[in-house]
Amino acid sequence: MNLPENQNVYTEGNVLVIERLFNAPRDLVFRAYSESDRLEKWWGPEGWKTENFQFEFKPEGIWHYCMTCLDKNQGEFYGQESCGKGIFQEIVEPEKIVYTDYFADKAGNVNEEMPGMKVSLTFTEQDGKTLIITRSEFASEEDLKQVMEMGVVEGFSSQMNRLDDLLVEQLRM
Amino acid sequence: MLKFTTLSALAEPSRLQIVELLKGGPLSVGEIADRLAIRQPQASKHLRVLSEAGFVEVEVNANKRIYKLRPDPFRTMDSWLDSYLQIWEERYDRLNAYLELMKAEEKKNNKEG
Repeated sequence: MNLPENQNVYTEGNVLVIERLFNAPRDLVFRAYSESDRLEKWWGPEGWKTENFQFEFKPEGIWHYCMTCLDKNQGEFYGQESCGKGIFQEIVEPEKIVYTDYFADKAGNVNEEMPGMKVSLTFTEQDGKTLIITRSEFASEEDLKQVMEMGVVEGFSSQMNRLDDLLVEQLRM
Repeated sequence: MLKFTTLSALAEPSRLQIVELLKGGPLSVGEIADRLAIRQPQASKHLRVLSEAGFVEVEVNANKRIYKLRPDPFRTMDSWLDSYLQIWEERYDRLNAYLELMKAEEKKNNKEG
């Protein structure tokens, strides 16, 4: 994959880390993330309209949104809808946002078959620019607990790092 | 969507070692047990988990069970990661463009204020 120069991607255990530098001061970047009407402007993919049905920007607050594809040129995606539900866990203005992300339907019912993912965002100012570090934890704690009970979790974190190397090698095969 | 069981099958050092061994080519249970210095029933147990998760397949050759890697789950894992990354990349491209609008907006407000 071609990554922009200002972006860095790596894994840490079962966490996928995306680092990206934005050419704007931190307060501005944080507002783009924390104000509902601003977030709607950029959250969805190009050609998709995002609508926040619920946006309670506080710990334990609910963020329920749907994205709809309005671009006829996107073929099979045109008219499709994708909804998500986040529950904020930690908010430190303007430094940090942590939420758990779930697949949901338009009514806000969480899809229990898909594991929730914990997403943590940190905003660091660097000479007038802002570094966002996005950390996505693959498995919910429950999933991990379940696996631990099955006795296979030993060394999970370090294994995942090696798994990453392995995937890269497999792709070359 | 990537199944968690796919990942958990590899979250065990011996199983990951087996996958790494099989990258070198197909092997029998006996050969795998020898190289990992584990007992054959243990090796069979690990191979069964890997096989259920779709990582390996078995071929029976003159009473010998030969195991080899199947590339599919590796592709699934990679394509899932890839699409997840792409979503964020596109999202952040849009944020980048939106921040330019916000900066212009601020400038205008500062002038007027």
